[in-house]
Amino acid sequence: MGELEGCRALVTGAGRGLGRAIAELFIERGAKVVCSDVDEPLVSDTVKEIGAARAVHCDVTDEAGVAACMATTAEELGGLDILVNNAGIEIVKPLFEQTDEEFRRLMDINVRGVWLGMKHALPHLAASAGAGADANVINMSSVAGIGGAPLFGSYCASKAAVVNMTRVAAVELRAVGIRVNAVCPAFIDTKMVERLVPAVEAVVGMPFGDIAAIKQGRLGTAEEVAETVAFLASRDASWTTGSAYVLDNGLTASLL
Amino acid sequence: MPDLLTNKVAIITGSARGLGRAVAEAYISEGAKVIISDVDAGLAEATANEIGAAGSRACDVREPGQVEALVQSTVDEHGGLDIMVPNAGVATMAPIVQMSYEQWRETTSVNLDGVFLSIRYAAPAMIASGGGVIVNICSITALAGCPLIANYAAAKAGVLSLTQTAAVELRSHGVRVNAILPGFIGTDMVNDRKKVFEEMLGLPDFDALIVQKQGRYGEPAEVGRLAVFLASDRSRFATGCGYVLDGGARASLL
Repeated sequence: MGELEGCRALVTGAGRGLGRAIAELFIERGAKVVCSDVDEPLVSDTVKEIGAARAVHCDVTDEAGVAACMATTAEELGGLDILVNNAGIEIVKPLFEQTDEEFRRLMDINVRGVWLGMKHALPHLAASAGAGADANVINMSSVAGIGGAPLFGSYCASKAAVVNMTRVAAVELRAVGIRVNAVCPAFIDTKMVERLVPAVEAVVGMPFGDIAAIKQGRLGTAEEVAETVAFLASRDASWTTGSAYVLDNGLTASLL
Repeated sequence: MPDLLTNKVAIITGSARGLGRAVAEAYISEGAKVIISDVDAGLAEATANEIGAAGSRACDVREPGQVEALVQSTVDEHGGLDIMVPNAGVATMAPIVQMSYEQWRETTSVNLDGVFLSIRYAAPAMIASGGGVIVNICSITALAGCPLIANYAAAKAGVLSLTQTAAVELRSHGVRVNAILPGFIGTDMVNDRKKVFEEMLGLPDFDALIVQKQGRYGEPAEVGRLAVFLASDRSRFATGCGYVLDGGARASLL
């Protein structure tokens, strides 16, 4: 169950947080993993610490860089079976106080970056599927991709775009044998969430711990998200494609 | 292969055959002690023997007393209940304007009332032992209309809603509740009804439509593997969720 023995995977934005946890669990389950990140020293350290195959510098908004990252990964691992599009940023500000530059940058990384990742991984994933592997993509979305939240306007828009792009990619690539799914976590205990605590507290008017406790019981952990990603990436999810698996301890199930 | 469900006590309703049996086999392969429950006592016993289940019980999930007894006898014999999979379901087909009230009631009472009763009696037993997991076998018909099975689809939509409320109510008690929403799986339930879909909807080839929508029929074992994930500690932050597995059917408007 959830085994990834011999699978060849690339995780973007793997220097820290969710990406790092995903890479770590993939390695534990037997995968060979390349980690990419825009922060090269960070991802180099991470790769050493977790025993990944290689670190690659990659800005997911640079098309040539993304293509090169995929080629380097396929060369390093002898192919590519699993792509985890995890790199992403957030802006926590009222929607109409965000600048044009901020909005464009977020969309560029969170949406166009996912598109570029899939586009340039495709030849490698198709080769893997053609050779009989269960090639697949996991796009990291968020519960912000299926519901709105104050201060997260552009982030919500970008994550909803990721869910819907996942659907189209899944249907278009089904005949090639490539599965494409998304994961939608709620607030997870990471540096990214730590940074947005003051702004969220200010707008909701409650301590962050109380908000998390009422809405989702507790903060999730990066390891818990990694488990869902590993499940979807494995042959155990062989008929799952075009799906967005929510992981939120009841947040979106509740009206209150 | 890790034993993700070692010594977990699980009841699966309607598990003498089809999807329920596949879930039972997947749980047993992960080390669970499974009770095969079915309205057909003889078939439940035969299946339990064939697949190495811990036991079998006759249970009509429409009957509160029978569901209560199913849970109680399992707790008495195995010391607790860790996992409940309300899976029992039936399907009778007719366009709404020709559907008898009996057809409506038969399907909704098994497919929706049965899930309510399963949660109603399983959850207290789980709370008493510090927690547990409920995995509702739902359907993508919970998300969209499907001709000829208004009763089935409405019941499944009810199951998804019940999943959400139960999850929220039971969260602080350590009981997780999720639903699996499969597309069309190659079981007898589907195979036996292809001809009816074709005749009543004027479809030339039901299989071709399924392949166009969802690539292929799903396999019962594929539902079994998702049911293992949701029953295991690996999904411990998931509750109130409906996980679709349908080969991409719901992803596409076309």
